[in-house]
Amino acid sequence: MKQDFSLNDTLSYIHSELNRIETIAGTLATTETKHYKELTDIGDDRLNQVANEEQTAARQLGEVKQICMSLSQKVESLQKQVQDQNNDHA
Amino acid sequence: MFKFVSNIMRNLVNETVDKAIERLARDQYTENLFEMMPVSKKVNPINLVEIMMRSRHGQPPGRPLGSHMRFSPWNELLFNPVHLYRFPTPEDVNISTSVTIGKRAKNPLTISIPIMIAGMSYGGALSKNAKIALAKAATRLGTATNTGEAGLMEEEREAAQLLIGQYNRGGWLNTPDKYTQVDAIEIQLGQGAQGSTPQRTPAKNIGKEYHEVFNIPEGEDAVIHSRLPGVDTKEQFIKLVRKLKDETDVPVGLKIAATHHLERELEIALQAEVDFITVDGAEGGTHAAAPILEDDLGLPTMFAVSRASQFLHQKQAQQDISLLATGGLVTPGDYLKALALGADAVYIGTTAVMALVGDQMTKAMPFEPPTDLVVYQAKMTDKLDVDRGATNVANYLNASVREMELVCYSLGKTSLSDINTEDLTALDPFLARALDVEFAYVSPQQQTSFFNQFAQLPGMAGNQRGQQEVPYASEEDRTEPDTPPPYQ
Repeated sequence: MKQDFSLNDTLSYIHSELNRIETIAGTLATTETKHYKELTDIGDDRLNQVANEEQTAARQLGEVKQICMSLSQKVESLQKQVQDQNNDHA
Repeated sequence: MFKFVSNIMRNLVNETVDKAIERLARDQYTENLFEMMPVSKKVNPINLVEIMMRSRHGQPPGRPLGSHMRFSPWNELLFNPVHLYRFPTPEDVNISTSVTIGKRAKNPLTISIPIMIAGMSYGGALSKNAKIALAKAATRLGTATNTGEAGLMEEEREAAQLLIGQYNRGGWLNTPDKYTQVDAIEIQLGQGAQGSTPQRTPAKNIGKEYHEVFNIPEGEDAVIHSRLPGVDTKEQFIKLVRKLKDETDVPVGLKIAATHHLERELEIALQAEVDFITVDGAEGGTHAAAPILEDDLGLPTMFAVSRASQFLHQKQAQQDISLLATGGLVTPGDYLKALALGADAVYIGTTAVMALVGDQMTKAMPFEPPTDLVVYQAKMTDKLDVDRGATNVANYLNASVREMELVCYSLGKTSLSDINTEDLTALDPFLARALDVEFAYVSPQQQTSFFNQFAQLPGMAGNQRGQQEVPYASEEDRTEPDTPPPYQ
């Protein structure tokens, strides 16, 4: 693995990984919501409780998505700063 | 045998009721027991019993959980469903419920749902077990709970994934070793149920653990001062906010009791560059307060939220400063309407306590009030099942957010934070104008002409005098010579 990542490369890497996490969180949230619906269809008290927890998990994954989005924005602004600095030096 | 006893009972009841009716008909009204009916209707049963309490003890009664009056007319607002004009949200779309508080802070506070547990202090109000149950429930839902005016209780800190600490007028959380451990700092200058009135817990009601958490020497009362210690001028307040922001990376906010001086108070909060503002309306609950403080002081939550939101928009600060609403919000509909009026999130107190007790109230009823299970050093404090209580609150929050999501589908929105005043309609014309919400009786196109008609009526001379709305003036711009400065 390349050791001498430049700052810009590192930021690009973090940005793409954040996008990936965001996508995974979205997919998992959809799955959790599906589980919630299936579990409540059964109509058992204990399973309903598990379904509630699935629903809560789906919302928290939504929160993860939002955190990823705002972190991505911060990374983008850092990338821009780095690019501006590089242009100034050039 | 049963029939025999039943017959005796029937005869007894029949005889008693007959005699009672005879007496009601016979006795003069001034000597008649029935006089209690019109009297209790005149002064109402709550005031009647509180008159008795005052006359028995000679001191203001400490009424629990805030005013019984619903000052904010939440039921005068309705949401507008959509069908074709804008399409409803498809059911397979997940509604986004998360909110970030204090976006300008180095470490903003992101919560999964826009409902948080309000500041209810350990010792001053709730038992340790109740606080832990609330913290556990908040953690399960990915939201925050609040210390209230207390010290930092280790067990609450451990149970709460996100804990908002109140920098308080008692001074119990106001040292760096404590406030650097919380996820947001809320400087508490007042509360809806009591304004900025001082409070005192007598030494005799303070147990050993309370002493430790609050760091109060034995034999001393716990005193909440009317002013924050060390803050007697607005400059000192601004300095305090800056200091807390320098020492921590978390959002630093201000909590006040909602008041008609709201905009003047917020002007100073803006100067101090707080990250969030909590407005606690007059309907706010508390452990116990004098009825006059609960019923006759403050500004209703609905108007406080709307005015604060309009003020932040006017100052173009709504992106930087989060607005938190609290005080008498009871139903998921109330929560969502508060968000639509401009709040980023809401705090719930009384409702959370009721949900916490939930079906455990059978342990206390019918001989003790259900809150005996959750109040500090009450008769049944040790009977609370913490895990069951936490599940009850978590279930309540889950159900509430689900109800809010359901409305969101019908409004054609994909996020609770996208709901705004355009999604509301008001059933009262004054309310419509005050809240900047359209009036339900006439179409959107007729709103202006409908209200203009009233300007021509005698007595509605505002426009004739050429009155114009003055944009929010800063403290320096105001010219009233008799207006006292906010801090003296």
